Amino acid sequence: MSEQPWGNVSLTDQKVQYATIGDLHIWLKTQNEEVWIAHGYTDEFKGRPKTDGPPEEITWGRWADKSAAEEVNILPVYPDKPLIVHSEYPLKVNAGTKIQIYSRIPVWVRISIPESEYQLIELPTVKLSRTWFGSPIEGELCYHATTKARRDLSLVDKKPYVVSCPILIHNKSDTELDFEHFCLRVERLSMYQHDGDFWADETQIVYHGEDLNSDIIMTGKLPEGIDKSKLLSKPRKQIHKSLATRTFKRIFQDTMDWRV
Amino acid sequence: MEFFQNSIFNIYNYISEEHLQLMLKLVVIVAITLPLLLILRGWARRFFTKKYAPHYGMLAGKIVFYTGIILMIITIMGQLGISLAPLLAGAGIVGVALGFASQTSVSNIISGLFLIAEGPFKVDDIINVGGTIGIVMSIDVLSVKLRTFDNMFVRIPNETIIKTQVTNLTRFPIRRFNAKVSVAYKEDIEKVREILLDVAEKNEHSLSEPEPQIIFEAFGTSSIDLDFRIWAPVDEWIFLKNTIQEDIKKRFDQEGIEIPFPHVSFYTGSESKPLPIELVKGSDQFNKKAN
Repeated sequence: MSEQPWGNVSLTDQKVQYATIGDLHIWLKTQNEEVWIAHGYTDEFKGRPKTDGPPEEITWGRWADKSAAEEVNILPVYPDKPLIVHSEYPLKVNAGTKIQIYSRIPVWVRISIPESEYQLIELPTVKLSRTWFGSPIEGELCYHATTKARRDLSLVDKKPYVVSCPILIHNKSDTELDFEHFCLRVERLSMYQHDGDFWADETQIVYHGEDLNSDIIMTGKLPEGIDKSKLLSKPRKQIHKSLATRTFKRIFQDTMDWRV
Repeated sequence: MEFFQNSIFNIYNYISEEHLQLMLKLVVIVAITLPLLLILRGWARRFFTKKYAPHYGMLAGKIVFYTGIILMIITIMGQLGISLAPLLAGAGIVGVALGFASQTSVSNIISGLFLIAEGPFKVDDIINVGGTIGIVMSIDVLSVKLRTFDNMFVRIPNETIIKTQVTNLTRFPIRRFNAKVSVAYKEDIEKVREILLDVAEKNEHSLSEPEPQIIFEAFGTSSIDLDFRIWAPVDEWIFLKNTIQEDIKKRFDQEGIEIPFPHVSFYTGSESKPLPIELVKGSDQFNKKAN
């Protein structure tokens, strides 16, 4: 398999196909009219794993489909939960200021049978820890990612397993926005491929103040040089043009109570 | 024919035609209504379970079923010519008599209504009532049914639940696990702290936020006692509890961090010097060994 395994991959009987994307290692084969998939992550192996089959400690998963497929499709998709993007260097945005930043987040791999569109498995290319966004009483489970929140991506190393998400932050409040973390709702974004890189359509976040929900607007605007024909994967969730939701604030004061 | 009409097999000798028709009517009413109610109850239960939660499915099923039963009884009474007005008038006196006779049952019924209105737990929640922990199977008129984790059926009267402290373990979406970690006095607490945070970060069930905390609990008799607090989604709490302690043990072994067992030091002088042992010449034991 090529270095970038995206697209259709043909599987001949019992011959193992191997791919590595980010920290993820995948082995694929067909056997007895079933698709067999094994996977593992770099930190689970001592040294580089063999390409002709997974190490003994990793077990195969098996999928049977009426089409008895000899081909699978490997597609990059967004993580299945929103991401709490943690800025490596805290950034303060003055009142009334509008800035464009880029967050690069690791993609997930979706393996499916193209003929029947039977989705076999989805795997993260980099293991992300999970985090809680909200209060102890209500909130949502998200992934935790660290980003440099760059203003320009032209000098950044290319990585075949990350998607660049343009984010426009507009501080409409009359106070400074201390931009340390924010919730990026990737399930509402589309993914495009351009020049070997993955790109998301623009998300606009309008901040109204600490105690108010922020407006999240999927502007659908694409970075320069990319058009809709380069669409790779659609959003996981139905796109509403905008939603008002908690984006910056988290309430954990009471979980930090040291008296108990 | 005449013989048959006069024989003991003629039902009309025992019951009039009108009464027979009435009985048939009642049988038809019951035969149609009961299956219909069961079907409607099943439908309401499935619909509300799918749309909302099993708890609301159970409530909707009960409302449909009991309302139907009451309507059926009223219809049957109407057919039998029993008027509701005198019954209602007599209900006060009968109510007092019944109240005395069935105090416990009535108390349970009323407690059940309070439980449903207050909603301290729902079907499928995990609760602890007086030390009994189980999954709520149903909240009924008289009692709450639990299934314990060793697969036993527990029936708790509603009145008991109203009077007792009930802990709902799954009410909120995240839950904290407090691991008691003890390390030897010689260990560097800063290093221990770093290791514990790293263990939490690598555990697949722990959450990055709320952040794990390490509280210096006490100078124990044999160890420094730490309280390591880690959060997990409520349905993964048991997995966190099971894995994080194993992770801590493995990691401490790798890093050479001592988990002390209770021990006593003999203090013999100005500092914790080794205990001096004096061999006394002339004693039997000494002489034997020397030989």
